[in-house]
Amino acid sequence: MTLVFSAKTSGSDDLKAIISAISTLVEEATFVANAEGITFRGMDPSHVALIDISWPNSAFEKYECDNDIKFGVRVDEFSKLIKRAEKQDSIEIGISEDNMLLVTIGKNKKYKMRLIESSASDTPLPKIPYDAKIGLTSSAFDKILGDVQVVSDYLTIKATTSKAEFSGKGDSGEVLIDLEKGMEQLTDISVKQESTGTYSLEYLNPVVKAVGTTAGSVTCEYSSAKPLRIEFKVANIGRIHFYLAPRVES
Amino acid sequence: MGLDLKALVVREKTNLESFASKVVAIDAYNAIYQFLAIIRGPDGLHLSDKQGRVTSHLSGLFYRNINFLSIGIKPVYVFDGKPPSLKSAEIEHRKQAKRDATVKYEKALKAGDLQEARKYAQQTTSMRDTMVQDSKKILNLFGIPVIQAPSEGEATAAHLTQTGQAYASASQDFDSILFGAKKLVRNFTNSGRRKLPNRNSYIEIVPEIIDTQKTLAELKLNKEQIVDLGILIGTDFNPDGFERVGPKTALKMIQEHSRLEDIPQIQEQLERINYKQIRKIFLEPDVADVSEINFEPVNYEGVTKYLVEERNFSQDRVETSLNRLKKALEKKSHTLEQWFSE
Repeated sequence: MTLVFSAKTSGSDDLKAIISAISTLVEEATFVANAEGITFRGMDPSHVALIDISWPNSAFEKYECDNDIKFGVRVDEFSKLIKRAEKQDSIEIGISEDNMLLVTIGKNKKYKMRLIESSASDTPLPKIPYDAKIGLTSSAFDKILGDVQVVSDYLTIKATTSKAEFSGKGDSGEVLIDLEKGMEQLTDISVKQESTGTYSLEYLNPVVKAVGTTAGSVTCEYSSAKPLRIEFKVANIGRIHFYLAPRVES
Repeated sequence: MGLDLKALVVREKTNLESFASKVVAIDAYNAIYQFLAIIRGPDGLHLSDKQGRVTSHLSGLFYRNINFLSIGIKPVYVFDGKPPSLKSAEIEHRKQAKRDATVKYEKALKAGDLQEARKYAQQTTSMRDTMVQDSKKILNLFGIPVIQAPSEGEATAAHLTQTGQAYASASQDFDSILFGAKKLVRNFTNSGRRKLPNRNSYIEIVPEIIDTQKTLAELKLNKEQIVDLGILIGTDFNPDGFERVGPKTALKMIQEHSRLEDIPQIQEQLERINYKQIRKIFLEPDVADVSEINFEPVNYEGVTKYLVEERNFSQDRVETSLNRLKKALEKKSHTLEQWFSE
C-alpha cells in the first residue's frame, strides 16, 4: 500500500512559527495527520507547559492525506531545515516510501530527513473553567513580558471588569503595568470573577517570542491559581493554544 | 551478583527531568551500597567524620536527593528487611569475596599501589546497621518517605508500582522486573561520565527506563516465564544459574519449552535447586502494604545541624547546596497534570 500524504504551504512563516513554538518545549515532536489536517500536542518534560496545535487542511495550498499517520521528528533538525526557506517559499512535506520525511522548499530544494520513532502517548488537556479573558495585541503582550522580566522571573496577571494588571516582583524591585478598558493594546477584557494568577516567564517568553510576530493578537484565559491558556491568533492556523501551570505560591 | 538480563530487556534512554512530579520507589540498599563503593578518597578510604565514622553514604544521599527534589522528583526509599533464607548462599559468597578483597587491599596498600588498593577497597564495601540508621535519619530530615520492607526492598518497591503509588522502581538490579515492577529505572542520576569500577576507563551514564510490559511483549513471555528465565540465568537465590546457559540460551529454552520443568536438557541440574521456592519469592513476594506516602517539607536547619555539627561536613558546602534547593523549590510551578482530570 502506498501512503499518500502531502501538505503544501504557500509561504514559510506559519510553519516556522509552529516549529519554533514547539521547540521551546520539546526536543522530539510527533505530528498526527489525517484528512482534516495536521495536529500536534505535547508537553515539556516537567509537564508545566503544553502546546496544542491544529492546522486544518484549508490552510494549505495543497493537502492530501488518505490515512491517519503519525510521524516523529527531532525538532532541532526539522527547525534548521525549515529555516533554509525564504519568507515567500512554499514548503511541501510528505513521507517517502522508505519512511523518510520529504521536505520540498520552494521549487527546487528537496530535503530528505530521518524520522524518529514516535513515542508520544495521548496528551490530555487541562479541564478548567476560565474566569478571566484578556485580549491583547501580540506586540503589547511581548513588551509587557519584557518589562516584567527586568525585575522578576514571574508574571502576575490580575483581571477586574475594568482593567488588567500585569506585575512582577523580584530581589531587585517590582513593576506594575496597567491596561484599562478602552486602551488600544487591550482588545478585549471579560471577567466573570476577579482573578489573579502567577506564571513563569521562563516558559512564557520563548513561546511569545516564537509565535508573537506571526500572530496579530493573543488571548489569555485563566482563573485564580489555575493554569493559563494563551491562544495565538494566526490567520491560517486553526488553533495554537499554549497552556501553562501556575506557580506554586510559597 | 545480580541477575544478568541486560542483553534481553528493552532499555530506553531517558532523563531525570521526565520523572518530575512522579513518585519513584528507590531500592535503598542498592543506592547506599553504590555510594559506599564509589565515594572514596584516592587511597580507597571512605570519607569520615572526626570520630572516624564513615560518611560517604550521607554525602551521596545529600547531593543526590537535593538534585531529585530540585527537579521535582518525589523519591521514596525502600529498605530491605530480612533476606529470604534461600539468599544465604549468595550472602556467604559475597562475604567471602569481601574478605578476599580486604586481604588484597592491604597487600596493595603496603606495596604502595594506590590504584590497585582503591579497586580492592571498593570490593570490600559492606553496610553496617549504623549506616542504615544514618541514612534513614538524613532522609527523614529531607522529608523523604522511608519504607521498611519485610523482606527484599525491591519486592516492595515493585509492589508500589503495581498499586500505582509509585511510577517506577529504581535499582541497578534487574530482579525488580522479576518482582513485577511495572517500570524499572537504572542509573537514576544525572547523565555524565563515570569511571568504571576496577578499570581505568570511563563510560557515559544515562538514566534508562525498562518497561516490563514492553519487554515481556518483545520477548514473547509472560510474567511466570520471565521468572523461569531469570532462574536459568541465575538469581540471588541460585547465583550460579545453570551450566552453559547464558541469557540468550535461556531465552530460547523458555520460548521453546515454556517452563523449567519442560526443558529436557536441564532436568538433572534442576533437581538440585529449590526452584519452586525461588519462583514463589518472585511471584508471591513478601511485601509491605503502604496506606499512604507522605512527603514533608525539607528541614533545612535539621539537615545542616546533623551534617555540619554531628558529622563534620563543610558548612559552606552544605549551605550552598541547600540554598540551591531552596531556590529551585521556590521557583517551582505546579504541573498541569492535576487539572487533567478535574
